[in-house]
Amino acid sequence: MSFRMSKGAFWATLAVFLVGVFCFGPGMGQTLAQEKVIKIGTLFPLTGPVATAGQRCQAAVQTAVEIINNKHPELKVPLADQEGILDGYKIVLVHADSQGKPDVGKAEAERLFNQEGVWALIGSYNSSVSKPASLVAERMKRIFMCGASSSAALTQRDMNFFFRLAPTDETESVEFVETLKWLNQKKKANIETIGLIYENSEFGKHAAGEAKKAASAAGLKVVADVPFSPGATNLNSEVQTLKNANPDAVLGALLGADYSLWIRTMKQMAWAPKIAISYCSGYQDPVIAKQLGPDADFFMGSTAYSPQFNVLMPAVGDVEKIFKTKTGGVPFDGDSIQEAVAMLVLAQAIQKAGVLDAEKVAETLHANTWDSPLSLGGKVAFAKGGQNSKAHSVVTQLQGGEYKRIFPEEMADTEIVFPIKPWNQR
Amino acid sequence: MVGKSVDLKTFSAKDGLWVAFVVILAILPLIPAFSSNSFRLHVMILILLYASMAQAWNIIGGYCGQVSFGHSVFFGIGAYGAGMAVVTYGATPWPGIIVGMIMAAIVAVIISYPCFKLSGHYFAIATFAIVEIFNRGFLVWDWVGGALGLDYPIIKEGLVNLMWHQSKTGYYYSALVIFVIIFGTVRWLEGHRFGYYMRAVREGQETAESLGVNSAAVKLTAMALSAAMAALCGAFFAQYNLRVDPPMVMSLDTSMKFVLITILGGAGTMLGPLLGASVLIPLQEYTRAFWGGLGGGVDLIIFGVLIILMVVKQPDGMIGLIRDVGKWASNKRAEERN
Repeated sequence: MSFRMSKGAFWATLAVFLVGVFCFGPGMGQTLAQEKVIKIGTLFPLTGPVATAGQRCQAAVQTAVEIINNKHPELKVPLADQEGILDGYKIVLVHADSQGKPDVGKAEAERLFNQEGVWALIGSYNSSVSKPASLVAERMKRIFMCGASSSAALTQRDMNFFFRLAPTDETESVEFVETLKWLNQKKKANIETIGLIYENSEFGKHAAGEAKKAASAAGLKVVADVPFSPGATNLNSEVQTLKNANPDAVLGALLGADYSLWIRTMKQMAWAPKIAISYCSGYQDPVIAKQLGPDADFFMGSTAYSPQFNVLMPAVGDVEKIFKTKTGGVPFDGDSIQEAVAMLVLAQAIQKAGVLDAEKVAETLHANTWDSPLSLGGKVAFAKGGQNSKAHSVVTQLQGGEYKRIFPEEMADTEIVFPIKPWNQR
Repeated sequence: MVGKSVDLKTFSAKDGLWVAFVVILAILPLIPAFSSNSFRLHVMILILLYASMAQAWNIIGGYCGQVSFGHSVFFGIGAYGAGMAVVTYGATPWPGIIVGMIMAAIVAVIISYPCFKLSGHYFAIATFAIVEIFNRGFLVWDWVGGALGLDYPIIKEGLVNLMWHQSKTGYYYSALVIFVIIFGTVRWLEGHRFGYYMRAVREGQETAESLGVNSAAVKLTAMALSAAMAALCGAFFAQYNLRVDPPMVMSLDTSMKFVLITILGGAGTMLGPLLGASVLIPLQEYTRAFWGGLGGGVDLIIFGVLIILMVVKQPDGMIGLIRDVGKWASNKRAEERN
């Protein structure tokens, strides 16, 4: 038996569907006034070039909510020993997909606030999306918790309701240059020139700008400045430009698959700098590190978390078990864990403020230092503009597929392999 | 006053369509009064905006028969005009909108002049390349914000700054004004000599030239007009999103929307862009609202499948559906008479 819908029936069905969603779709029904529920919106890129990172960020927020809503006495995390907050309020998440596009992110932020009735937002991974989406929150006097977006410009807007957990590309740039200076002093590395490779986006461009400032302050010469379009299918000319300039060190801002393409292209061209350090990016993605295998070794980057940090952050292990059930066994990375921290700190602030008033909770967030066992350093505090002044990351190096801590020296657990081993000697 | 009665026997589907269009025009200004739902108003704003964008493209692509995939360049120039006026110079967006429209028309003429020497697929391919050139150029051009883009500050809302914070009603009426300007211009063109010239060029350039039509001048004028209209839409897009960066406005993705909506609705017809936007935009927004949060692109898969089904069921576009209904009705009337 064959099913063949006539043309008229098809269009009639489509018309009914459109009228239906228009009349009864999102926002038509009023938000049910359920007691003791706090709706929190998540806004991440669930599709597009960085979808896997976005999905892990979403899973991290879900993990935090599971801890907040249920009793987990085995976890050494704030709010884990109680059920809910404010005497039994449970958090309910409403998820949205930004597609990594600023206009979609803004529209979804408006929908989450106006139609879904969320009380606060957590997101949005891409700095270019966090900017307009957080502007929506600020105009509505609602809280926007930003876990992983690293553009320093986000917290230079003097906003009152915006809070960012991750270190900025400004602090990371200084940290990278400090690492190079340390290598010059301690290891006689003789690093004098720098090359930059970055995606041509809000994140990459801003990171490159901060890198140039930090390099210039340290007397290092930038000899190659190589932007590329994110989601690239070929980086041959970009790597060739780097190879021709042959800088001693390369600082990279490459997300997701772009990072692995960059590494593979360098291998293909049989070239690598003496040292390469990447911003929060594809470098710290455990799945990409696994896919690259030994090729990923000896490259470096800033890392806010990896499973090898358990000595420094013992509370993460048990939380990570919950996270892994949502990601098919993939552990936290430096970005996703910041989103879990964002949710936990927001819940602590609501609990401390004792009232569901966004202005009071924002004031509370600013006024206190928060315990955060899932953060490197263990504390979170927000400066004016919303930057986490306690944000830390460590410069690590991938050795045998593991993120080894290299700098600062007092946090190091391994000697650096310098320079990067040539491809034919691995 | 003596009124002319309507002869129902000669009342065609086309007449019905026009009556429906006039009724819709009469209802459109009243919508914000009846709906406080901001998401629904957002969808309505996008329908008006994308219908206007598609209509702007329809001038050159539909009426003049020159399929351009480069309209996001003009859209982007308009967006940057408004964005730079507000963000870079701290002025109102109005002078930027005017400058953007003029610049878009000039750029359209400059880049179209050599491209119009190409025909058919080659013209389309050239316009693809132009989008990439402008996209890359704007990404590294620091004067226009480069890859960082332009982020609007929060300034006083109202018509002067073409910016509203608490409600979308202002944006809705602004989009409606743009819609009326662009659709009104195209309606006027349809009955004007220039409109006939455009259609003559579309049907056969050599034939048109043999009848004394200067096809090069017609195509360049149509492109300039189309680009200026696209720039006006781009300026509104920037004001609505309060941000401009090259991937947002000068991308193949945006260019495809100009084309897709018009083709889906019915190219070369006045109502096609409105029909296309009325179907495509709600589908895009509601599938995302319903299923976007599930992850894995479920909404995009459903959206894609629906577009495929629509194209398979109605290759002539939505306007073809209206024609089919018209034919069916006239056949029915003929059967009844017999």
